[in-house]
Amino acid sequence: MTAHTATPHAAARDMEAPGVRIRDLTVVYKTPAGELPAVRGVDLTLAPGTITGVVGESGSGKSTLALSLLNAVQPPGRIAAGSVEIDGLGDVLTLRGEDLRRARGREVGYVFQAAQNSLNPLKTIGKQLLDLGRSHDVEDPRALVRDARDLLARMGMDGARVLDSYQHELSGGMRQRVGIMLALVLNAKVVVLDEPTTALDMITQATILRIIREVHEERALTTLVITHDVGAVAEVADDLAVMYGGRVVEHGPVTEVLGDARHPYTRGLIRAIPRLTGDLSLARALPGRPPTLGTLPAQGCVFRERCERRMDICETDDPAAVTHDGRTVACHATGRPLELVGREELV
Amino acid sequence: MITGTGISKTFRQRGGVLGAREVPALRDVDFAVERGGAVSFIGESGSGKTTLGRIIAGLETHDAGEIVIDGVPMSSLSHRRRQPYFRRVQLIHQDPYSALNPTRTIHQALEAPLALRARQTGRPRSWIDSRAQELLSMVGIDPGYVLPRYPHQLSGGMRQRVVIARALTMDPEVLVADEAVSMIDVSLRLGILALLKDLRERLGVGVLFITHDIATARYIGDDGELYVLYRGQVVERGATEKIIADPVHPYTQSLLSAIPVLHGLERPGAERVVPKEPQGEGRLGGCLFVPRCPFSTERCEQETPVLGRDGGPGQDTEQEQACFHPRRRSVIPVGVGE
Repeated sequence: MTAHTATPHAAARDMEAPGVRIRDLTVVYKTPAGELPAVRGVDLTLAPGTITGVVGESGSGKSTLALSLLNAVQPPGRIAAGSVEIDGLGDVLTLRGEDLRRARGREVGYVFQAAQNSLNPLKTIGKQLLDLGRSHDVEDPRALVRDARDLLARMGMDGARVLDSYQHELSGGMRQRVGIMLALVLNAKVVVLDEPTTALDMITQATILRIIREVHEERALTTLVITHDVGAVAEVADDLAVMYGGRVVEHGPVTEVLGDARHPYTRGLIRAIPRLTGDLSLARALPGRPPTLGTLPAQGCVFRERCERRMDICETDDPAAVTHDGRTVACHATGRPLELVGREELV
Repeated sequence: MITGTGISKTFRQRGGVLGAREVPALRDVDFAVERGGAVSFIGESGSGKTTLGRIIAGLETHDAGEIVIDGVPMSSLSHRRRQPYFRRVQLIHQDPYSALNPTRTIHQALEAPLALRARQTGRPRSWIDSRAQELLSMVGIDPGYVLPRYPHQLSGGMRQRVVIARALTMDPEVLVADEAVSMIDVSLRLGILALLKDLRERLGVGVLFITHDIATARYIGDDGELYVLYRGQVVERGATEKIIADPVHPYTQSLLSAIPVLHGLERPGAERVVPKEPQGEGRLGGCLFVPRCPFSTERCEQETPVLGRDGGPGQDTEQEQACFHPRRRSVIPVGVGE
C-alpha cells in the first residue's frame, strides 16, 4: 500500500470491502472473584461492505467486543480465546508490536465512545491530525491534510476552519464528525463506531447517522456500530446483533430482527422502546435489571432471570447459537428453526 | 398549581474574541402546570429547556415575567419567603450517578430531608424511618434491599428511583424531571416514565418533563401538554398526542423527522423534514428558525411570528404555533401493519 492515497474515493471503488469473522471470542476481566467473562464464545461475521449494529445495554459486553477488533482490551481484561480474522490482515489477535500499531488506524479505524471528550483540548484538530500522521509514518503530510479537509467538507463542514479549531470551539455533532474523520483519514477499511450518537441532539443524531451511511458506501467500508440505542441502529445498519450478558443472543438482517424478533430479550427490548406511534398500553419495561460481571449466572442462559419464556433447561444449559436462513438465535424456547415451531408460539 | 407568564432570561457571556455577548436563553415563555398535570418541554441543547426547569425550581433567576405558585406571585416575596414555595417544586436531574452522595447510604440520603420535613410538620422522629420505607415502596424498590446500600451498589434505574423518592420527601406539588431517563438503560426507561405517570395519578403531583426525545413525552401520560422550544421561544404547543400526530411548525416537524425509524416495524413518514445546517444566527427581527427552515419566505425574514392559532389546526384544539406558514406534513413513522 502506498504511503498515502490522495484520492480515496477512486481507490475505494477498485477495492473490495474486507470481511470480518469473529470466532469463539472470549474476553475475561480479573476481579476479586476470579476471572469473569465480559464476552463469552461469541461468533459474529461482518459481511464485506455491510453495516452491522451491535445493540446492548450496560454490561452486555458490546464495548469489550468492539475493542477486541483492535486487539486493544486493556488489563484487567484479557482476550482468553478465539480469533478475529480480517480479510487482508489475518487474525488481529495474533498481531503484536509494530504490526498491531500499523493495523490500528490504517486497517481498522475506531471512533471512540463520546468522541466529544476523546480529543486533546490543548491542541488544534489540525495538530492532532499531524500527530496521527507522524505516528503512522505518513510521508506526505500535505496530502493527509488535504484528505482530512475533503472528508470534513464531505461531512458538511468547513475543513480548513475545523482544522484550525480547538475542540471547545466545536459543537458535539462537529466533534463527532472530527472523530469519524480521524478514523478514516488513513484509509481504514474496517471502521468501528462506539456509541456514535450518544449525547447528541435528535437532529444532529439524524445527520450523523446519514453521514455514517453515506461515507460507508462511498468508501466501501465494513462498519460496526456499537450502541445501546436500537433506533440508531435501525436507521443505519444492514444487520443487527443483539448482545446480552456477554453473549450474542440474536443476529440477522435488521428489518427481520426488528419485524420478527425471536429471542425473548430482543422482543422485550423492542417493546420497551418509547415510540411515536403504537398503543401505549402494549409498551412496558423489561422486568429486572441488566446483569453485571458479578451477577452473571455461572451456568445456564444469561437472560433467564428476566425471561418470560424460561424453562427448566435454561437453568442448567446455555443455549447454543443456532443459525437458520441467515438468522441466528440463542434460545431454548424460540431458537429452533421456524418449521419446527408452531406458528402460534411466535406471536 | 404553577404558572409562568412572560418568562425571559438572558445570559451574559464575558470574554471571548468578540467581548461580552448576550445570549437569550428564554424569550417570553408562558406555561402552566396543574395539579396532577403533565407538561413536557421539548428542545435541543441550547433551547433553554434546562434553564426553564431551574427557574421553576427556584435555582435560577429570570429577567422578566412572573412565576406564580399556588396563587402567590414570587416577585412579591423576599428571597427567604420564597423558599417554602420553591420547595414544593423538586428537580430530578438527568444524572442519577452524580445526584446522590457516594459516601452516604440510601438511608442517610433520605433521612436528612425527612428529618427536616418532620420538624416542619411536627411529626415524631419515629415517622422518618417508616416514611422512608413508604416512599421507596412507592417508587417500586424494596426498602430492605436499598436502604443500607450505597449508590454505587445500585443500578442506574434504581438510583433514579431513589432520587425520585428523595424528591418526594418534600411532598412536592410538581416534579421537574430534566432528561430523567436519558442515562437509564433502554430496557428500564419505560419503568421510570410509568412511575412518573403513576405518581401523577396516585399523589396528584404535577410533572414538568424536559427532554430532547419527543417519544418519551407520550409515556408520562397521553393527557399531557407539549411545548416545543427553539432558541428560547415556544414555537408550538398543544396536547401531546395532537402535536405528535399533527405538527405544523417546521421545527417540530424536523424534530419528529429525526427520530429513527424502526425498519421492519415502521415505514418512514412520506414528508420527513430535514432542516438546513445553521448558517449564522439569523437576522434580528425575523423568525428565529429562518436559518434552518427549508420553507422560509421573505416575510419570515422581516417579521417575527408569535404563538397563535391562525392558519393552524388549532381552531378547535387549542394547538398554537409561531409560524407564518403552518402546514401539515406527514413526518412520523407509520406502523407496518397499519
